[in-house]
Formats: sequence, structure tokens, C-alpha cells
Amino acid sequence: MLLENKYYKIIGIDKDADGQSAVFHVAILPDCDVYRGHFPGNPVCPGACNIELIKECAMLLTGSKLRISAIKQCRLTALATPALCRELDVTIQASPTYVGFLIVARIADAENTYVEYKGDMEPDEECLQ
Amino acid sequence: MDCGDIRQYIPQRTPIQMVDRLTDIKDDGAETSFIVREDTYFVDENGRLTEPGLIEHIAQSASALAGYKAVAAGAVHPPIGYIGEVKKFRCYRCPLVGDELHTTITMGAEVDGVTIITGETQVDGKVMAATQMKIFMAGK
Repeated sequence: MLLENKYYKIIGIDKDADGQSAVFHVAILPDCDVYRGHFPGNPVCPGACNIELIKECAMLLTGSKLRISAIKQCRLTALATPALCRELDVTIQASPTYVGFLIVARIADAENTYVEYKGDMEPDEECLQ
Repeated sequence: MDCGDIRQYIPQRTPIQMVDRLTDIKDDGAETSFIVREDTYFVDENGRLTEPGLIEHIAQSASALAGYKAVAAGAVHPPIGYIGEVKKFRCYRCPLVGDELHTTITMGAEVDGVTIITGETQVDGKVMAATQMKIFMAGK
């Protein structure tokens, strides 16, 4: 995983019995090097890091190495910072499709929803070669 | 066309600065370039720039155009922009370390600090990814 234990750390997983959905409880790591550049003196969680977080949780849920083939819509609805967002819940629903999974995801805490995501992920065949 | 040091136009810095040069400017768009390096953020263990890296690069390309216009208008520091929405994103292939990304940005009208942009990234003439985004500019 690219950002696990670097940008975030998983502190718990609640998986549904059907295996198609789960809530990942994660801690956002404030010492991550990304904040040196995003932005100097004004650390803000990059939206792209939160998309990678969703991808990595989807891989853990499905047990598959995945690539993002399409994002239908990803709304970043609130500004996330490492100071405000110490712990987040990443809710993932993975519905099988002909070629992979339709992933519906949300990143939120008790106060805010930060990301709402819907898109297709497929087995990472380049990686399997 | 080379517009000079990209850092005058974008607020991102190492390790997540993901545009090298602003190579063309038009009224409603721009072109940028970026060489993928081993230490580029979002490069995986196989030396590929993953999809979120392409999204970040396209967002920073749009930010570079906004920054160029702001500096031309007299701003001392480039504005900070945030991704508000990613829509119709398609990734056809992930670039590799050493690849040079060439990205074309088209900007729509800005309303209340929100600009809709489209971006397409190519390597050697082959499309790697394309997307629409809403970019929020801070302080507007």
C-alpha cells in the first residue's frame, strides 16, 4: 500500500457479513511528509491522498490489487486538515461488475463528510504481469 | 514557450509539486509538462504514477494557469486552489518513471470562486487520463 502507515493508519475494520462493505477506522498521521508541500505552513489533506485512501481500503475489502479505471463522481465536500481530522471513517461498498467492482465510498467523521465517491475499479493486470 | 519558474504560479512544494513547466497559455487554457521521477508522490513499487497522482497533476496544472493569471494581474503569491469535485475521470494507463506528461487544461467560467476545468494527460501522444474537475480557489 502506497500511503498506509505514511498518510494514514488503520485502527479498526468493521466488515459486513456479506463481505461487500466495510467501515475502516483510520488515523490521519499529522507527521506525513506530504504536508511539507501541501501547503508549506498550512497543512491540508490533499484530495488525491483521500482518493488513494479509498482505493487502498477497497483493495483490502476485496482482497484484490485494483486500479481506478473510472470515477463517475467524487465530491470533496469539506476541507480536511490533519489538525481537524485526527480520525476518520472510510465506508466502502464494493459491488461486483463484469470487469471489477463498482466502488461507492464516503470519508467522514462525527462532524463532517469530507469525500463522497463513486467509480469503477478493475483488477490491476499490469501489476499481475 | 516557457513561463519561467513554476513555483511562482503554484503553492505546492516538494514532495508533492507535480508540475515542472507551464508550456503554453491561452485565454481559456494551458499546457503543462511534468517528468515522473522515482521520488514523485504516488509512484508505486512498480515505478508507475498511480491514478490519484494523475488527478493531482491535472489539478496542479489548472492551478498553474490560475496562478499565472493572478501573477500577471499583480498577485505576489499564487492562489491556493482545492479540488472540489472530480467527474468523468478515466484512466487508460499509468505513466512510468521517466515518462514526460503533457497535459492540456481547458478552463470554464469562474463563478463564486469555483471553476470547472477539463484536463487530458498524454505521454508520447497517447492519452493516459482525462477528467473534469471543479476547483475552488481560496479567499474568493
